Amino acid sequence: MSENYKFDTLSLHAGHIPDKETGSRAVPIYQTTSYVFNSTEEAASLYNMEVGGHLYTRISNPTVAALEQRLAALEGGASALACSSGMAAMHLVVSAICSNGDHIVASSKMYGANINLLQHTMPRFGVKTDFVNPNDPDAIERAIKPNTKLVFGEVIGNPGLDIMDVPEIAKICNSKNIPLVLDATFNTPYLMQPFKHGANIIVHSLTKWLGGHGIAIGGAIVNGGNFDWGDKDKFPTISGRHFALGGISFWEEFGPSALIAKIRAEGMYNFGPSLSPTNAFHLMQGIETLPLRMKKHIENTHSILDFLVNHEMVEWVKHPDLETHPDHQVAKRILPKGSGSIVAFGIKGGREAGKAFIESVQLASHLANVGDAKTLLIHPGSTTHSHLSSEAMKEGGLTDDMIRLSVGLEDINDITKDFERGFKAVKKLNK
Amino acid sequence: MIISFKDADTYIGTGGKSLDNTKRTLCFLHGSGQNHLSFIQQARFFAYKGYSVIVPDMPAHGFSDGNPCKSIKENAEWINDLLVKLNLKDVVIIGHSQGCLVALELNRIFKSFLKSIIFVAGSNIIPVNQFLLDLSEENPQKASEMMVTWGHGIDGDMSINKWPGHSHYGEGNNIMCMNKPTALKYDLNSCNDYLDGINAAKKIKVPTLAVLAKNDQMTPLKSGLKFVELIKNCETHVLDCGHFLPSERPMELNSIINSFLLKLE
Repeated sequence: MSENYKFDTLSLHAGHIPDKETGSRAVPIYQTTSYVFNSTEEAASLYNMEVGGHLYTRISNPTVAALEQRLAALEGGASALACSSGMAAMHLVVSAICSNGDHIVASSKMYGANINLLQHTMPRFGVKTDFVNPNDPDAIERAIKPNTKLVFGEVIGNPGLDIMDVPEIAKICNSKNIPLVLDATFNTPYLMQPFKHGANIIVHSLTKWLGGHGIAIGGAIVNGGNFDWGDKDKFPTISGRHFALGGISFWEEFGPSALIAKIRAEGMYNFGPSLSPTNAFHLMQGIETLPLRMKKHIENTHSILDFLVNHEMVEWVKHPDLETHPDHQVAKRILPKGSGSIVAFGIKGGREAGKAFIESVQLASHLANVGDAKTLLIHPGSTTHSHLSSEAMKEGGLTDDMIRLSVGLEDINDITKDFERGFKAVKKLNK
Repeated sequence: MIISFKDADTYIGTGGKSLDNTKRTLCFLHGSGQNHLSFIQQARFFAYKGYSVIVPDMPAHGFSDGNPCKSIKENAEWINDLLVKLNLKDVVIIGHSQGCLVALELNRIFKSFLKSIIFVAGSNIIPVNQFLLDLSEENPQKASEMMVTWGHGIDGDMSINKWPGHSHYGEGNNIMCMNKPTALKYDLNSCNDYLDGINAAKKIKVPTLAVLAKNDQMTPLKSGLKFVELIKNCETHVLDCGHFLPSERPMELNSIINSFLLKLE
């Protein structure tokens, strides 16, 4: 009987039903490299992609598949593939679609590793990228060339918190027959499902809110199945003949799931960025409580925004849910449940003040991650960007007084009390 | 492969192998609003077993152009003409859902080369409720989504798939979205209007196999079991799944079909 289960239910159940042999309620961890074939015929059918199944964990694994199918269900996608990290996911997508001579249009305001991959690594393989303001759909349209193979951006930019107007940009991509690929790590499918807004491919760092507990690195690609790869001249890697598997055309034989089939057959096979089954299990444990955690992340974020906006030691606060944020109206439209739990703020007193604050808080953890259940902080001016001058930081959209805060799930009073401790230290310094 | 047929580009899946009309050919017929991708896990499987395989996208479905057929009889005539054009002389028809009704009519006109018929989630009658008929005209995408949801058993709800990482619902909806918007309306009306299944079933003389689904809400098991009683010596199997047997239980279905095909030789 079909039930069409809702998001909260799918977070707990999608991808797994207890097997008849053991009745295991939890998804079992299939910690194995390989799988016994019942016959040579069966082995051949798996190698030839005649039927689905598992032949080697670098390509697929039952525990990892449960995670993939849960993600596909939560995003409303046709298929998904989990891999070793969010950056692996990003590279798998780019390398599956692009070849020497191809071009990408990407947001200029993204996570540093995403920019590095497109700006420095891919050009060595003949794939060039033009970076444009993600808030300017016209600029994105102007940057598209005949050899552009994808448009890439982050729904919520890291660390600047710019919001892409996904429906507008999707319309442009659709009219040009170019897939819109989005990093949806900061929103998660709980806050926004990009396929409903016209995006075609999603990449996730599962390490962050989806996993949510800071214990496992992982990434995923979710394929909307809503893109027509049929133009063989434009997308030969998907709709043309593959070098193996009898010259398979992934588009002809897998249709909506062509991209994932291609990545599994080439990216996972030849590059090998597989996710360990144990990490897949940990990440699924996180996803089981995603709706509950995201609600609390947003609730605490809104409380901390009130606290920071009204605090005498705070120079400025940046979050898309604040009316002062330049993308507030877009955020309200496409992220009605909230725009994530990353907050940027500046402390009066500049770089030294930021450093004093970070060193004085004790509940919030000083580290380079986001999306943990615990509150996390980093002061780029004294850590990741300490080698840069104030001017150079400004050029990169950062300021030397800026603190990046990943709001956790602790009691809000304990977080604000902890921050007061930090502000007290800054006051002392300013005196 | 794409061929020009009846003044339209027509796509025929061949399971990754070239069509060889000197061999026994398995011709898969898709259901309402579907296309060759209904048989992702059958086409390559049987092509690599040595059979010649064809999975045509009916007009206005999948990668095929043209106007949709407007009745089961018209669908059967189109297939008949295609089989003749391809010069196929030894054909086993494997229909899914609406494809079973088309197979019943095809049996009446393509007798000489038809060696066997395999019915998957079939019946002699597939009535469609007025709500879905209306919706298929007003909002085919919504109608498709409802069919995908109703059509799958628990594996659809729970996103359980034999193909790692694939979602029955997400994939199913997008497969149906590949068709021309009017295709679904004509398919569903063709099914609803087809009332000659009892007579057609009684006329079958070739060996037949029926694989039915326990939790089928589109062609209910009860209806399928009545249907197979109309056919002389129809080998029947029931699998524990929903209407979309080819993707819900691919290995079991392939195994049953394969055993049956071996018995034909």
